[in-house]
Amino acid sequence: MDLILQLLFTGIGIGAVYALVALGFVLIFRATNVVNFAQGEFSMVAAFLMVVFAVDLEWPYWLSFLLAIGGMALLGALFNLGVYYPLRHRTYLPVIISTIGASIFLANTTLALYGPQPQVLPPVFETQGFLIGPVFLDTQYLLIIAVTAVLVAFQYWFFEHTLIGKKLQATSQDKEMAALLGIPVAGMIMLTFVYSAVLGGIAGILVAPVLFVSIQMGATIALKAFAATIIGGFGDVTGAIIGGLALGIIETFGAAYVSVPYKDAFAFIVLVVFLALRPQGIFGERIAEKA
Amino acid sequence: MRTTRRVFLRSAATLAAGGLAAPGVLRSAFAQGAGSTTRIGMVLPVTGPGADAGRFALNGARLALDAVNKAGGVLGKPLEIVTEDDQTTNPGAVLAFSKLASQPDLVGFLGSIRSTQNHAMAPDILKTGKPVCFGGTDPVLTQLGNPWLFRFRPNDSFSARVIAEFGVNSLKKKKWALIHSTDAFGTSGAKALAEALGKAGATVALDQGYTNQSQDFTPVVLAIRQSGAEVIGSYFTFENDLGIFARQLRQLGVTAPWVGSPSIVNVTALKLAGPSLFGTYGVADYAEDSSPAAKAFGKAYRDATKIAPDNQSSWTYDAVTVLAMAINKAGRTDPQAIREALLAVRGHEGAEGTYNFDKNGDGLHGYNVVRNEKGGIVFDKRIDFYQG
Amino acid sequence: MTGSPRPLPASAPAAGAPTPAAPRRLPVGSLLYALAAAGTVALAATTPFSGYAFNILMQAATYAIAVIGLTVVLGLCGQINLAQAGFFGIGAYAVGLGTVDWGLSFWLCLPVGLVLALVLGAGLGASTLRLGGHYLAMVTISFQQILTLVLINWIPVTHGPDGVPRIQRPTLFADSQSYLALCVFVLAVVGYLVWHLPRTRLGRAMRAVRDNELAAGVTGIDIYRTKVAAFALGALLAGLGGALFAGSFTYISPDQFSFAESIVFLTMALLGGVGSPVGAVIGTGLLILIPEWLRFLKEIPGLYLAIYGLAVILIVVFMPEGIWGFLGDQVRRLRPRRPAPARAQDLVLTQEAASPAPVLEVEALSKHFGGLKAVDEVSFTVARGGIHALIGPNGSGKTTTLNVLSGLYTPTGGRVRLDGRDITRLAPHQRAASGLGRTFQNIRLFRSMSALENVVIGAERPGNPLVGHQRAALEARARAALAFVGLEARADEPVSAFSYGHQRLIEIARALAGNPVLLLLDEPAAGLNSSEKVALTGLLRRMAAKGLTILIIDHDMTLVSDVASHITVLNFGRRIADGVTATVLREPAVIEAYLGQEAAEGPAVGLKSDLAPA
Repeated sequence: MDLILQLLFTGIGIGAVYALVALGFVLIFRATNVVNFAQGEFSMVAAFLMVVFAVDLEWPYWLSFLLAIGGMALLGALFNLGVYYPLRHRTYLPVIISTIGASIFLANTTLALYGPQPQVLPPVFETQGFLIGPVFLDTQYLLIIAVTAVLVAFQYWFFEHTLIGKKLQATSQDKEMAALLGIPVAGMIMLTFVYSAVLGGIAGILVAPVLFVSIQMGATIALKAFAATIIGGFGDVTGAIIGGLALGIIETFGAAYVSVPYKDAFAFIVLVVFLALRPQGIFGERIAEKA
Repeated sequence: MRTTRRVFLRSAATLAAGGLAAPGVLRSAFAQGAGSTTRIGMVLPVTGPGADAGRFALNGARLALDAVNKAGGVLGKPLEIVTEDDQTTNPGAVLAFSKLASQPDLVGFLGSIRSTQNHAMAPDILKTGKPVCFGGTDPVLTQLGNPWLFRFRPNDSFSARVIAEFGVNSLKKKKWALIHSTDAFGTSGAKALAEALGKAGATVALDQGYTNQSQDFTPVVLAIRQSGAEVIGSYFTFENDLGIFARQLRQLGVTAPWVGSPSIVNVTALKLAGPSLFGTYGVADYAEDSSPAAKAFGKAYRDATKIAPDNQSSWTYDAVTVLAMAINKAGRTDPQAIREALLAVRGHEGAEGTYNFDKNGDGLHGYNVVRNEKGGIVFDKRIDFYQG
Repeated sequence: MTGSPRPLPASAPAAGAPTPAAPRRLPVGSLLYALAAAGTVALAATTPFSGYAFNILMQAATYAIAVIGLTVVLGLCGQINLAQAGFFGIGAYAVGLGTVDWGLSFWLCLPVGLVLALVLGAGLGASTLRLGGHYLAMVTISFQQILTLVLINWIPVTHGPDGVPRIQRPTLFADSQSYLALCVFVLAVVGYLVWHLPRTRLGRAMRAVRDNELAAGVTGIDIYRTKVAAFALGALLAGLGGALFAGSFTYISPDQFSFAESIVFLTMALLGGVGSPVGAVIGTGLLILIPEWLRFLKEIPGLYLAIYGLAVILIVVFMPEGIWGFLGDQVRRLRPRRPAPARAQDLVLTQEAASPAPVLEVEALSKHFGGLKAVDEVSFTVARGGIHALIGPNGSGKTTTLNVLSGLYTPTGGRVRLDGRDITRLAPHQRAASGLGRTFQNIRLFRSMSALENVVIGAERPGNPLVGHQRAALEARARAALAFVGLEARADEPVSAFSYGHQRLIEIARALAGNPVLLLLDEPAAGLNSSEKVALTGLLRRMAAKGLTILIIDHDMTLVSDVASHITVLNFGRRIADGVTATVLREPAVIEAYLGQEAAEGPAVGLKSDLAPA
């Protein structure tokens, strides 16, 4: 029993990471109908920014965090201008490819600037964790779960109860209509990219103490998060959260009871099965790409 | 939009034209350089996940290069190293080697620290017919019947025997858990370790592989806990995997002693895992305190690079030194003569240990056991299986 | 060098390449191509390269075959495949494991690899191509990742990460020189076949699916099967390239077939131009050579790949058609116009002899969107011959009815019979095959094709009794259809060169060329000026005079009362009137439904779409 509880905690912790990154995917998808394959690199870049500010320059953690988040906001804006905006009138294919290019670019620019060694970002809290009964709770994972919950709540409030959130929603549902209503569509899309980069950044900074800071750190997480997005139903925030958590738990238990080496395959097998049986995802209503 | 497009295309065209011209320039530069130096080729990762290791390897080689040239060079000419990026991939290594091999004035080569890359290059090495010094530790490589392969690190059959002997005889532990990467290095190492343990009369309670770049080891650690193993033997390839495993091992309360393959004591692993690795043992082909030669290399390396030396730089240091020595002894650049000179090396005190080449091309036959003493690496003992 | 483009067949670039209907030209282009290819193969077979050059050239040739496969999936059919390296690996492992572990001949392993790649490609495609888009991207990534994990971890069979060394080449091609010649030869053959693909029936179907899926469906193309075919073909070519690759390097390992390699394949295709095999060869050659030119950049780890990533973005933004697409545009601009072909024949529309049996019977047809009853138990019949109009105010359910009739929506209830045959459950292309043609309110042409090619696809409608699969016959019929709408002189121009009104006429010609039993016209007068409307009225009359049965939807009451002999009126999804034109237009319910509506209407509203998302 304690074995199962321990695995469950780990699964939820990892699932929360996937969910956090998946949130960023969903936002951009809802606003632009595009999957951003560079979402994982947002996390990686933010973690490296933290290493530069908090470790190399030894600035206070909170200041480093604010600066890193500011940097991510800027990156999100540049990303929109350079990678998405010029292609906004084309089909999804060129955009996918352009974001793949951006992901290669970001990963290797970081490599060129910082070198290939993995880096350490110290955790926020001194204590590594608590032992509750036989189950060890890692503080960093607890923090990740808590932050994910807070951000989901924030997102809900933001979209449902603020004017700007409603404008964002209107934009994502029908750009032409939104434009007719006087909503600055380009500005709303810009905002989406900025927020989504910040979200990815927060995820990166949170997992850095657990997974270390490396060039490849974003790619694997992002791929799983993407799978979570699809399992949850594209474009649905609740779905992304459930999908992320489900994947984390499936992976952990799969590794424990089926096979460790094939752990990474579980996410994709679940995904393929899901697409075959319930293509609209857990929560999604429609499958068709918007015309 | 129109104008930006045109500007982009024009600059792209200029770039392409410049690119076309560049190889010609480089080649003519080569032609002038040839003849005035003795040149050896080196295949190393500059891009990809191995780029880190590639930098260390180059540092070690450069250090030896400087020493050789200070001592008068090779055959009266300065020694020069020509490098080629293998992109940390197998086809990359094949292309890099064949590119080097197509330059006829290169007299010898440094191959890869990765066994699979050496496997990939082996057919081309055989075709080229010039000595290649490499650092991959898969025992099979020197048993392929390829006369041009010379290993400058002890192979995994020795690391496994040393881990087993140390664990069983010095630590007195009989019930083992083996954790290994499912890549070539990890699988062959764990297989050799299981065999060595069988011979030493110990039992394997758990033999668990994992895929590189795993993000979580909780299931593995729980399996170790359940297996009741008294000691852990490991073959980890990447330091971030090692770091995550080490931390989770300690968090979940596993206190069994741990004897790991060389990656457990390398610089990056120590930095990433920190206190989680305190008290562990590792086998190391390079240990700074194992011999005067190792100490001397360590000092020179620290002076030059300001970082601690490890096995990724020590083997290239030894390889360049020994290769230069062999060419000088042969007195000419004929590959067969260099090969014979290499095979005749006996009792050379290198940074990695004492080189005695056997007929297969294995230069080293033992490992050092080291202990992680609160983050510092302390030499414990050397276990050597060489019988003159 | 294999990477360099060979002289091109004179028979012109993929898009917009018309050929005179008759007599058959001498295949000068193909002959030239064969000569050039033979020359290149001879060059590869005799030039004494260095070992390094051999490796690079063999890599370029085998990669190019896989990249050509990608141009079929991505370029021709518009479907993404991020697992091309996986299929490449399947071919490679078939040859590697077959020759090394099983001691089989290379020539036996090669077809096994091809079949495996084909079957897996078709299977993967069949399971997910209904979804398309991002789902396809994700599923192909999943396949790629699972395959890599299997190659690494299934050690007893695949040798795991060690890879497979000492792969056997076929006896006749054991040395690098002759093996290179073999690879180049296969590349030349594949290039030739794929070059011609766009002008085959399958190729045209792929382009139609890429350009406009809805229109492809209603012109009788089985969208799903076309996509699966493209996907399987792409996988097959990847397998072929991989099988040859295994023989060229004589050593393979899982990391050569990873996701990162799939991205490399994709970039090669994009860089060269995804629309043509020439582009694929250019892109592959460049991406294999560029690292050599930019070697100095590799001093700093990551810099080279960073520039590579940046280049991908710039290519997508500034050269959407790739290098070859860009060059091809310039070439096309310089080429002289072809002389006008011989006078087109008169358009034949065969119709059954007049019979009392109705062409279309609609019984209690309903379509609900959630709680909204867009079409509510509507029944009417369309008699053979003549023009039947379906009218009603905005939002009355006309277009929804049309979409249900042509199979774009599945009805909530009711029954549709065409020529006595129940078609209620048929897919759009099956309805087209049983004789249903249609046009769209907001024109849906295949944008990358010429007017003629658009209409040829219409003529190819399965079940069209008038023409077989002969290119000459198809083109003659397409020209006749274009002549019928008055556009035969401009048949070879790309559709984007036509005015809105003329595009509408091309769409009608496309439907006419298929010789439909019943033609559905969705607001054909929308967006036309008054003189164009007059011409349209004339055209409708001429069509009816040929005995064609037409069901038309329109707002323009003048047009409707001018041409229609019979009218069905809908309001709020229900039928409120049905009968002979003059009678129906006098019915109080109809007048009530239209009063006020007419005044408010004005010119057609551009915002409205005929297929709002459900």
